[in-house]
Amino acid sequence: MRPHLLLPLLLLSACDRPQAAVAIPAAVPEAPTPGPVPVSNPEEILSSVVRINTTQQSWDQAEPWQKNSPGKRRSLGAIVGNGLVLTTAEMAADATYIELESADGKRLAPAKTVAVDYEANLALLGLTEESNAKFFEGTKPLEIAAPPKPGEMLDILQVEENGTPLITSGGIQSVDVVSNFLPGQFFLTYEVKASMQSAASSFSLPVLREGKLAGLLTSYDSKDQLSDVTATEIVARFVKEGADGDYAGFPSLGISISRTEDPNFRLFLKLPENGGGLYVSNVRVGGAAEKAGLKKGDVILSIDGHEIDRLGYFEDSHYGRLYWSHLVRGAKASGDKVDLVVQRDGQPQEISAVLDRRDEVSQLVPAYAFGKAPSFLVKGGLIFQELTKPVLESFGNEWQSRAPLNLLDVYENPQKYESRGRRIVFLSNVIPTPATVGYEPLQSMIVTKVNGQAIKDMKTLIEAFKTPAADGLHSIEFDEEKFHVYLDESVSDTVDKQLLQRGLPKLSRAED
Amino acid sequence: MLARLVVLPLALLMAGPALAQTTASPIPLTPAGAPSEVYRSVVRIEAAAQIPDYQTPWNSGRFGGGIGTGFVIGKNQFLTNAHVVSNARRLLITIHGSPRKYPAQVKYIAHDCDLALLEVGDFSDFEKFPVFSFGDVPQLESQVRVIGYPIGGERLSVTRGVVSRIDFSSYSHSRADQHLIVQIDAAINPGNSGGPVVQDGKVVGVAFQGLRQADNTGYIIPTPVIRRFLKDISDGHYDYYVDLGASTFPLYNPAMRQALKLKDDGNGVLVTDVTPTGSCDGVLKPGDVLVSIDGHEVDSAGQILLDGEKVDLNEVVERKFAGDKVALRWLSQGTWNDKDVELKPLPPARMYAIQYEKKPRYTVFAGLVFQPLDTNLFATSKLDDVNVRRLYSDYVPKGIFTEREDIVLLTRVESDPVNSQLGGFTGKAVDKINGTVVKSLKHAHELLNPATPPEFFVIELFGSPRPIVLPGNAIAAANKRVSETYAIDHLSNLEE
Repeated sequence: MRPHLLLPLLLLSACDRPQAAVAIPAAVPEAPTPGPVPVSNPEEILSSVVRINTTQQSWDQAEPWQKNSPGKRRSLGAIVGNGLVLTTAEMAADATYIELESADGKRLAPAKTVAVDYEANLALLGLTEESNAKFFEGTKPLEIAAPPKPGEMLDILQVEENGTPLITSGGIQSVDVVSNFLPGQFFLTYEVKASMQSAASSFSLPVLREGKLAGLLTSYDSKDQLSDVTATEIVARFVKEGADGDYAGFPSLGISISRTEDPNFRLFLKLPENGGGLYVSNVRVGGAAEKAGLKKGDVILSIDGHEIDRLGYFEDSHYGRLYWSHLVRGAKASGDKVDLVVQRDGQPQEISAVLDRRDEVSQLVPAYAFGKAPSFLVKGGLIFQELTKPVLESFGNEWQSRAPLNLLDVYENPQKYESRGRRIVFLSNVIPTPATVGYEPLQSMIVTKVNGQAIKDMKTLIEAFKTPAADGLHSIEFDEEKFHVYLDESVSDTVDKQLLQRGLPKLSRAED
Repeated sequence: MLARLVVLPLALLMAGPALAQTTASPIPLTPAGAPSEVYRSVVRIEAAAQIPDYQTPWNSGRFGGGIGTGFVIGKNQFLTNAHVVSNARRLLITIHGSPRKYPAQVKYIAHDCDLALLEVGDFSDFEKFPVFSFGDVPQLESQVRVIGYPIGGERLSVTRGVVSRIDFSSYSHSRADQHLIVQIDAAINPGNSGGPVVQDGKVVGVAFQGLRQADNTGYIIPTPVIRRFLKDISDGHYDYYVDLGASTFPLYNPAMRQALKLKDDGNGVLVTDVTPTGSCDGVLKPGDVLVSIDGHEVDSAGQILLDGEKVDLNEVVERKFAGDKVALRWLSQGTWNDKDVELKPLPPARMYAIQYEKKPRYTVFAGLVFQPLDTNLFATSKLDDVNVRRLYSDYVPKGIFTEREDIVLLTRVESDPVNSQLGGFTGKAVDKINGTVVKSLKHAHELLNPATPPEFFVIELFGSPRPIVLPGNAIAAANKRVSETYAIDHLSNLEE
């Protein structure tokens, strides 16, 4: 992952976030982990978990009118409330059908997503139809455990295909603030050392402590025998806020930061030799920090009374050293206030910010769009799309060098383009048709105007194409290209009808 | 989009140094009637080259070399490819069947059309050799002979082929130039480079490149390009090609033609961009429709009929020289315009060409290595920063060169106590030094080496979350340490 400003909240300077390496050297559990063992009270445990089967199908970013081939996944969810099942957001992403299955395989019920947080990688599922309420008869929701300490043991729960529960105990080797699903989204996570086996479900599993829910396992590295377990606080907050069906999400401050460990840089910023501090390298327009008056170049000295060191860590009374972002995303909810002490022009200042949640949809280039069909327009064979990160990622693993440079520029420097509108609309490709003769080489060109009207998103584009000039021609203008492309309305109409006949299910879609 | 860089899997035909030696066998007698006389004028060129190291620009670079072919075209004039003799430190010429090696030197070299003219210290041994004269562009399907010293042996080789295509295409030596090219199906191989391609006793081309992915495709530089080179150097120096400085887009689309109020006659090409400071700057505008060049009608694909062949409209410009004029006729917002435009070269466009015979420029500042962005650097370093790639691709089309002669990059950081935290900044482009926009490497060097150092040097990079800051009083000591530790005798080289 390379750093760039789009990743929400927090980004390190020229260096990547040190994954786990700077984590707390916790008291490593003494005994080597023995691996999975059968459970003494299987009935009780099985009454608190369900299997989840999902069918997932994402949209085809290159041919946005159709979907990719579907895939299936299984996982083990934890019953956390009245008819609510907790699992990872990965399970709910682009889901077309979710089914709950009792651990013994006897009962099945279709389910829906009640709340989902792709950034924290958590999802809460409930029944689609209330008539299925008997599915949960005899089940017992798990209570949320008290947050464990580094070094303590956790129980990872799996259920074999035959319905036998398995418990693997592992110690919390370290506690860190890392991302486990979407890059750049950092949340409090336990690194648990345990040797697991591949059981019936995937590695999306409940983690218990003394029979209560202590976290959700999101990934397992069989080589290092290390699991990432979303921390108790994060799970607890998500379940609490999500259970009412009106989930607000984890808040953010809206800044990018640089560390201040470079002694020359500290000298320049007039920071004391043995102090800490985080350099604010960018403040997102409209974010909580900007509203509170935080400026690029400020140095954050403390957050809510916790001193922040030069690498970005603070001393948490429970967990030890943690990355500063936990003080915002994890310790707080949207609407909460956070008190900062910053150094500006050599003088300390106090700033209070009211945290809010940045909705990904409000971003110029959304970093994810699960479950949302891509917006597009096919006009006479010209294919227009809205720029999103999934579109860029469709250029393959090497998308950061393979995707068109002008589109990457928008992604990396959105502030240059933000004044233009809600989304960047671009001509992605050209289907050879009678209307697009000679236009075949055009691709990946950002559209600025159609028929003289400024293009701010797909809706405005579709609207602008409704009014061709008097001569029946549409004129299309592009960013950085100084010529117009014209399209004949009557020819493109005929072409559009043929495209529909030849299997394009629809010619446009404009999502909010 | 209208890409400027075309990457083709073209292979230059110079033979590398690691060729297997073959044992000499008795020379078979040349059959009676074969034009053996002319073989004597085809010489073997042994080149030893020093290739600069753009990654560590203070180092000597790599020594290498190879084998190519050349031929006599006049008194003490040997024509060959530029890539055979590029960066050469020693050139030796051998005559077919003779063990003697004649030291030679480059008289003129044109990297944009891959041609060079050599001379030897003493021409007397060559005096009686026949001199090659030039013919025309060979006809499609006609047969040609390629003569040279390709891999597979030490001695002269002759192959035959048929002309399969005449095109306007890429010359891979510079990576940035396109000229007329003739494709033949003769087996021509590394070592053939610079050799004559003969038809009816006359040279119709110089063999120069092949295609890696295809068999039996050899490319030769046709005589219009050769003649242009020879005429260009007739005044004692090579001046490069001139450039129209305008890009075009085909006008096939009926709606496009209707909007521009053009008849459906298949003529005219749309001007999409005009290079700032170029020949057409202030004459043509984007959106204009170019309909004729020097009286040749431009069709909707941007082609003209020249000497009975359909060629790119730029072929007219190709055959001209700096200061020559070209007559343009174009439609601009409903008005017809005629003008004779004076042609000139576009030096900034060399940004996109590999440079030869140049010493890499750099300056080292407290272990921070700054180099100007060019294609040589791009070819050796992995530059994936979006801002750097943008500056590179916009350099000529958007006229960035008018503000910044060089795009200065921080390419390396040689570890030193003063810069130990700056590793993550490499590969980015410098915007400002102490608040001043950096215009060139020389300018950066001056800003970094003022008479009295400031308290802090503040270096702002494009796309960097924070500036690089170095205390002014720590630089001199750091420079000394870096120079000694990393064996950098000269901390800067500002001249090519």
